[in-house]
Amino acid sequence: MLSTQIPWLTTIILLPLVAALAIPLIPDNQGKTVRWYALGVGIADLILMVYAVWQNYDLQISTFQLAESYPWIPQLGMNWSVAVDGLSLPLVLLTGFITTLSILAAWNVTKKPRLFFALMLMMYSAQIGVFVAQDMLLFFLMWELELVPVYLLISIWGGQNRRYAATKFILYTAAGSIFILVAAFAMAMYGDVVTFDMATLGIKQYPRAFELLVYAALLIAFGVKLPIFPLHTWLPDAHSEASAPVSMILAGVLLKMAGYGLIRMNIEMLPNAHVSFAPILAILGVVNIVYGALTAFAQTNLKRRLAYSSIAHMGFVLIGIASFTELGIGGAVLQMVSHGLIAASLFFLSGVTYERTHTLIMEKMGGMAQAMPKVFALFTAGAMASLALPGMSGFVGELTIFLGITTSDAYNPMFKVVVTLLAAVGVILTPIYLLSMLRQVFYGNENSGIVIEEYLGDAKPREVFIAACLLLPIIGIGMYPKLATQTYDVKTVAVAAQVRQVLPTVIAQKQRSPLYSTALVAPQLAVPESQVLIASE
Amino acid sequence: MDFANLVDQLNAGTILPEGIVLTTLMVIVVGDLIVGRSASRWIPYTAIAGLLAAVVALYLQWNNPNPISFLGAFNSDDLSIVFRGIIALSTAVTILMSIRYIEQSGTALAEFIGIMLTATLGGMFLSGASELVTIFISLETLSISSYLMTGYTKRDPRSNEAALKYLLIGASSTGVFLYGVSLLYGLSGGETQLSAIASAIADANLSQSLGLVISLVFVIAGVAFKISAAPFHQWTPDVYEGSPTPVVAFLSVGSKAAGFALAIRLMNSAFPLLIDEWQFVFTALAVLSMVLGNVVALAQTSMKRMLAYSSIGQAGFVMIGLIAGTEAGYASMIFYLLVYLFMNLGAFTCLILFTLRTGTDQISEYSGLYQKDPLLTLCLSICLLSLGGIPPLAGFFGKIYLFWAGWQAGQYGLVLLGLVTTVVSIYYYIRVVRMMVVKEPQEMSDAVKNYPEVQWNLPGMRPLQVGLVLTLVATSLAGILSNPLFTLANSSIARTTTLQPIVISSHFSATVPAENSALQTQQ
Repeated sequence: MLSTQIPWLTTIILLPLVAALAIPLIPDNQGKTVRWYALGVGIADLILMVYAVWQNYDLQISTFQLAESYPWIPQLGMNWSVAVDGLSLPLVLLTGFITTLSILAAWNVTKKPRLFFALMLMMYSAQIGVFVAQDMLLFFLMWELELVPVYLLISIWGGQNRRYAATKFILYTAAGSIFILVAAFAMAMYGDVVTFDMATLGIKQYPRAFELLVYAALLIAFGVKLPIFPLHTWLPDAHSEASAPVSMILAGVLLKMAGYGLIRMNIEMLPNAHVSFAPILAILGVVNIVYGALTAFAQTNLKRRLAYSSIAHMGFVLIGIASFTELGIGGAVLQMVSHGLIAASLFFLSGVTYERTHTLIMEKMGGMAQAMPKVFALFTAGAMASLALPGMSGFVGELTIFLGITTSDAYNPMFKVVVTLLAAVGVILTPIYLLSMLRQVFYGNENSGIVIEEYLGDAKPREVFIAACLLLPIIGIGMYPKLATQTYDVKTVAVAAQVRQVLPTVIAQKQRSPLYSTALVAPQLAVPESQVLIASE
Repeated sequence: MDFANLVDQLNAGTILPEGIVLTTLMVIVVGDLIVGRSASRWIPYTAIAGLLAAVVALYLQWNNPNPISFLGAFNSDDLSIVFRGIIALSTAVTILMSIRYIEQSGTALAEFIGIMLTATLGGMFLSGASELVTIFISLETLSISSYLMTGYTKRDPRSNEAALKYLLIGASSTGVFLYGVSLLYGLSGGETQLSAIASAIADANLSQSLGLVISLVFVIAGVAFKISAAPFHQWTPDVYEGSPTPVVAFLSVGSKAAGFALAIRLMNSAFPLLIDEWQFVFTALAVLSMVLGNVVALAQTSMKRMLAYSSIGQAGFVMIGLIAGTEAGYASMIFYLLVYLFMNLGAFTCLILFTLRTGTDQISEYSGLYQKDPLLTLCLSICLLSLGGIPPLAGFFGKIYLFWAGWQAGQYGLVLLGLVTTVVSIYYYIRVVRMMVVKEPQEMSDAVKNYPEVQWNLPGMRPLQVGLVLTLVATSLAGILSNPLFTLANSSIARTTTLQPIVISSHFSATVPAENSALQTQQ
């Protein structure tokens, strides 16, 4: 069949990049041509993705599909090797979806539009590359490729403090990502054969101390990006200073690169070390949730509040990853997808608000529901999704993770109770800060100081369209989770099975961590209940 | 003995490339003498043609079955061919950028190019020299021409200062080097050929003698001065700041490459018994260079000084390959120097262009350049980001290969330090990019506000433009299409017999025929 021979993934990765390089050639026309061009490329790439998956991807198979591998630099053992599986697929689709919408959201960029859209398209390529790379050097390359575009996007089109935020972003991320390279070198050169192929690296057997070190290195690298509590300080700056379309991508896609990396590398390639680190991940997850929620509550800046809420929501991903259950790991992926959509919609809407009020300080706003009913309605819907209202994707994601951790037989009951309880506190804090945000911005009497740009008025059709595009899947996944779960659950079941396989052996070898269940025996690999449980909600 | 026989015995064909450069030099000097001032129109192009012809001649000598010539004084193995190619190419690109600069400074172009070709000749001979006297003479040819070039704009007091500083420090370092060499000569019982020295020392069982260690340290000091490795770097910032910019470009690429060629050959041929000692000394140099070069570069306000410190840091990175001591390590050095040639010369080309148009090289004066000169901004940004190791530019692949080789050889600490200092370097490189691209129109510096209209049709501007585009294209694409360069670097090492005894078996076979090599594509 012809369509299987086409290098789909390579085309999907390279299309935006090549298109970005062609931008200097297209006519200027005050940036009006270039935005249509960028949007066209974004949509074309999205269609290409959907078509390739539709034609050639079998959801029932947990292994890599659409695989391509060409030797790139054989002297280093580096291959251009790309493939998708259940873990990459939802995130690739999310990238295409969010990036295309953010290009549409950037319709009003008038400052250096060509550079802006070129950088957006480059970022598009890099992100897809990260999710589909099956070679660790290629993964690192794609990971680094996104640095400079994001740096420039923040530092040219950002808010007041943008240069500080951008520099902080690039230094944190670059410093974090060197650990990926170190881990790649360490794993690739262990043993006799030098290979960067992720699947081969996963099969290699490493000594325990080595595996723990590599795991820690990767945890730092991904911890900066996710972000995990003490390494998170770049995020509120970067996310709040970036302009709305860029924040959409930052919160919607970039953070997921780290969650993806944690599952792909830390769990799949280093399962033995994961058993030792999982309780720490769970604790860090709880810290993220509680700390993120409490700090968000203290923020007066709208986007900073949303940024801290991202930190809190990513904490759930960590708990899911640490749970050793199909439900938990599946929930982590679902939470990533769901947070990608929700965060993108909230950041987009805060951008819409900012365009009209020119301030992000919530105290200066107030009573705007009168002037902008549509924005108010959309914002409320987004906030509800974020605080995990049943019927929306946030609820499904968080609930699945809770179920995952509470049904996990790997931890002792005390630990599970504490983790669940504290995470639940975070869940209670979320509505507090989100509803207070809505109150401050939209309810009450109109703040006398606020100036709403009259000529803009309420949300324009384009803006409503973008928000609706994001809210529809949020509600869709909330009502019928299988919409999202079917793309990955075969894979997450396999991942959970893999990590559970090493669980008893590792625990038996080492003195048992007190956090793990004292009554731990080899857990039965139960029939996948995930669908049953999710469907019954 | 008839002449043909003599040529045969000396195997003089191996220095054909140098012969071409020498002939070009003669043509230029004599031509300038005869034709006079108007000769400056064709002289630079003759020089470039000569250098490219030398590169072609080098290519034809690739994989020479009989590389030893002049009774062992000169070794034209593939390692030397690559280094000679790098030096010749770097001079060719440097000449492209110097035409306009020298014209504008009001000095004679022919003499400048003559001196530069002499320096090139010295560097090329140095890359292949395998005998102490040849090494010393070629080193001096390179050094003395460099002193002359640094002081070439003689009406500029800073150029004079730079020349004097360079001369004084250079002379003392030469003295130290010569002292080390003389110890080596004595200890080996009067041998001058590197391989004979090594075996004589081994036979006399002198590998633990203090004299040999002192000689090693002194020789390394001389080499470290050439590659401007900390703590022998003190001359670098001042000389770079004061000298004419094309000279700086040559010093930072061509001269450095020659220094590295010397380091590889000397250490492997003359000191194989002291491998632990020299690796230790170079480790110290590498650590100091990476830390000092990259950290001090953060504080610089002048572009030339920043690039000076950055070149110290870059030398530190390249030394990782030397310390690794494996086949991959040497190959990674060559690969890095190849891409370094383009990205560093590209940065200097942009620097020259900016200085020519505005008369300043302060980093703060670059602010807002994007609005006025997008091409220059693009080229400088790409070159600086490549120096910082940002993918998918050439420097990224170069650094990856260096670190790869270092890690494979077990130099974990060095690689980690290299990675950390790379992050530091990203900061100061991107600071310049930020100046140019990010600043708002109202924040434009005075120099940029008065930026003259870009005119490429002034005399000497076309070659500058060619150099700019050439380095830009090479820096952007040499990484993505790096396979031929990798093959070139690897096969040059694999075929170099002097490196074989200590080489740890490599994991890949570098047996791609020489026809595939990329010497042609670099042009």
